[in-house]
This record gives sequence, structure tokens and C-alpha cells, in this order.
Amino acid sequence: MGYGDVEMIDANGIRKDGRKAGDVRPISIELGVVPVADGSCRMRWGTNDVIAAIYGPMEAHPRKIQRQDRAVLDVRYNMAPFSTSDRIRPGFNRRSREISKVTAEALESVVMLELYPRSKIRVEIEIICAEAGTRCVGLTAASVALAHAGIPMTDLVVSVASGKINDVVVCDLNKAEDNYGEADLPMGVLPNTGELVFLQMDGDLSPEEFQEAWDYNMNAAMVIHEYCVEALKTGRYPQ
Amino acid sequence: MSIPLVPQLLRSHLRELAQNDQRLDSRTQFEGRDVEIEVGILANAEGSARVRMGDTIVLAGVKFQTMTPYPDRPNEGGLMCMAEVRPVSGRQHEAGPPSAESIELSRVVDRGIRESGCIDTSDLCIIPGEKAWQVILDLFAVSDDGNLFDAFALAGITALRNATIPQEKFELGEDRPLVVSKTPIMCSYQRVGGRFIFDANGREELGGDERIHITLGDDNHVHSLQKGLKGAFTAAEFTELMEEARKKGDELRNMVHALEGGN
Repeated sequence: MGYGDVEMIDANGIRKDGRKAGDVRPISIELGVVPVADGSCRMRWGTNDVIAAIYGPMEAHPRKIQRQDRAVLDVRYNMAPFSTSDRIRPGFNRRSREISKVTAEALESVVMLELYPRSKIRVEIEIICAEAGTRCVGLTAASVALAHAGIPMTDLVVSVASGKINDVVVCDLNKAEDNYGEADLPMGVLPNTGELVFLQMDGDLSPEEFQEAWDYNMNAAMVIHEYCVEALKTGRYPQ
Repeated sequence: MSIPLVPQLLRSHLRELAQNDQRLDSRTQFEGRDVEIEVGILANAEGSARVRMGDTIVLAGVKFQTMTPYPDRPNEGGLMCMAEVRPVSGRQHEAGPPSAESIELSRVVDRGIRESGCIDTSDLCIIPGEKAWQVILDLFAVSDDGNLFDAFALAGITALRNATIPQEKFELGEDRPLVVSKTPIMCSYQRVGGRFIFDANGREELGGDERIHITLGDDNHVHSLQKGLKGAFTAAEFTELMEEARKKGDELRNMVHALEGGN
């Protein structure tokens, strides 16, 4: 079956799960879900369920990983074995390694690492339940958890993906849309400046479609940022 | 993992407390932390549970795969139990291949469930000699503040008792519940400050000595035992712990069964 053959959006522009093109799935945020960590955040986004925990700043071991002028971020993205329809064998794979790397680089752009020379900050991202867009949820949850841990940052990172289904550009693809979609554009936005620290894309988008997906992401990021700020003020979103 | 310097101070503090029949968090010797159990919390697992005991939080998820039965048991499926203590669950847990501690953890939990005979492996046969169900129980630590053993065992049996065999997904007929006929319960004791206590928290584990894990079935039959860490205990001490485990086991088992009544 070719891409685009499965009807994912009807003539009125309503998606299978009832959303309009620009709508984001329901999001809830809870802080302090890993009581033994220095900061933590659980983010539920659609059926995605992600936990991020922060340990540190702490002494960097072994010594060769230390940096004289800044802290190092040790970021791990991992999917729990029961997080997907088919069980995942435990352990690092190429996909989780790549996501860990780009997530670390996104967070390094906002964490004020120079305040903690020779130390290490551990960022643990665990995907408990996956339903498309886990890298975006993981990155957003990690930035909220870092703020919860009291680590100085220049901004939060809010990440969201848009894509294309049945030749229509839509925001925040769910599992079925991701499987049968024709493009996926995840972005990590700094809400206060509009800058980007994370960007990936695969698929096929015309210049116009690309702009539309870009704008959806930017708008969604600003909305999700409000949720994150509210969670950081009160411990959870929604109340 | 580096050995912390604190334990000598912590150990003498724990010894003082024990002499006055006290604990760090004002519990009595055989008092456990409050236990919360939730079931069906993982949308992509065929059975799941979350257990919280104080600041210790664990998840259990059940998945099913098809397997070729072992040649000597052509009419039986299998059970696999895997515990992961990933670095998310505590600063002392480092990334890397599974530690000896986490392997011991998953094997002790596995034995308690397996040996209780609560899962009838012949019920997992699909085509004799060719195809059978393999039940995979994955245990995942979210937050480790001590006694992962009991938390894993409790989450594990609860998740299994709430699991559904996904026959539709594999085009093998209608979904059906996994039959789990018993409820093995593990109770763990650790020598802290010279005496055994139940349900050690993270600081008690850090300043404690040997531990004993007892898994009992519905009829109080013993299904698994494990002595861990350095230290020696007497027969009289063990008799007392068995007595305590029977009482505590009944209490926890009733909790698991009460959840099912509510579903």
C-alpha cells in the first residue's frame, strides 16, 4: 500500500481522532514524579507517557569526561520494553543513541553549563508509553525537569512536530498518522526568542507545505510553553 | 559505583535507633511503608501495574510473543521475567549493562512467580510442538528508595493477574485473560542496626547488612528464598521472619485481590 492511500482526514478537515489540522493532542504535566531525583517531570501527551529525571550537578566521572570550563550533560533517551505494541529488547540501539545526541545538543544550547565547571548533569528520559512524537515529548519534559531541578537556563525548550497526511499539513501527528504520513518535521523552539535548537525532518514537503508545518510548530510551541510554565509554578498542568 | 563515606556514621546512628526500638522514619520493626497499587496504567502493555511504597515507585508491564516450545515440553509455553534498574531511578544507578544486583533482583522475583505454579504453562500452548505463548514480564524502577524486591514482586504478580492474551492481534481468535491461579507475595527483611526490619528504605539499605527474601504462596507454601549480602543469621531469627512474612503476605495478597473485585 502506498503512502496517502489510507484516509486519515475527511473532507471537512477532521482527523480520525477528531482534531482539526492545527490541533495538538491533550497534554498534562506533573512535577516531582521521581521523588529521589533532583528534578523530574512526567508528561502525558496524547497516549504518550514520558518521565524525565535530573541528577546533578555532580562530580563528573571518569575524569577524562570533565571539561575545565563547563559542565557536561549526560542525556539518555530510552524506550521501556513495554512502551510499544511490539516489545522492545532492552538496551541502547542506534535510534535511541541518535535521539539522545540531538536532545543533549538541544539542551546544551539553553543550560548555563559554564556555571558548573568539571561537573556533570544527568538527564534521564524514559518513554513509558509511546504513540508518535516521543522525541518531542522527551525533549520538552527534560527541559521542564531541568527547570524543576533548579538548574539555570536561558529558556525552556518546547518541541513539537508537524507533518503531512493525505496531502494536508497537520500539527502533532499521532501514531496512525505517523505510520501513513508523508512527512514529519519535529522542531525544538525557544519560546522567548523564537530560536530553534532542535530540527529534524523526513518525507516530502513543498516550499508552501514546509512553511505551513513550520508555522503550526511555532504556534503550538507557544501554547505548550504556557502549560509548562503553569506546571512549574504549581507542580502540575492542568490543575 | 563509588562507596560513600557516610555509612559509618549512618550505621552507628541506625544502631542507636535499633537499641531504642526505633527507625529512621518512625516505623516499628516490622511495619511496612504505605502501599499504593494501580492497575492497567500502560496503554501498550497487555497487563500492567504501578506500585508505590514511600518514595519507591516501580512499573510492571506484560507483553506476549509466540515461541517454539522446548523439545522436552512440546505442550507448554513460557514465562520470562526481566527487571531493569535504569539510571532514571537513582543517582547510585549507573548506565551500562545490567549489574549483578539487578540480575539477582529479576531472578529472585522470577523464581517466586514461576515456582508458585500460578501460571499453567500448558494453557499457553497454541499448536503442540510448534507454537506457544511466551509471557514476558518487564519490571521497571522509576524511583528507588529501597526494597525494590518487594515492589517488583508485587507489581509483577498484579500485572500478570490483570493481563490479557492478545490473540486477536496475532490472528489466533478472541482475546482472553491470562489465567493466574495464585498470588505469590514476597516479603524482604534486612538486618539494620543489628536486628531484622521489614521493608528497608534507601538509607536503611545503605547502612544495613544481610537481607532475606521470602516468597509465600496462597497456602503459605514457600516458593523462593534468597539470602543476600554479607552477614550471618540464626535459625531463631529466621523462624520469626517466616512468621512475620505469613502475616504480611496475607495482608498484601488481600490488597491485590481487592483490586480485582473492583474491576
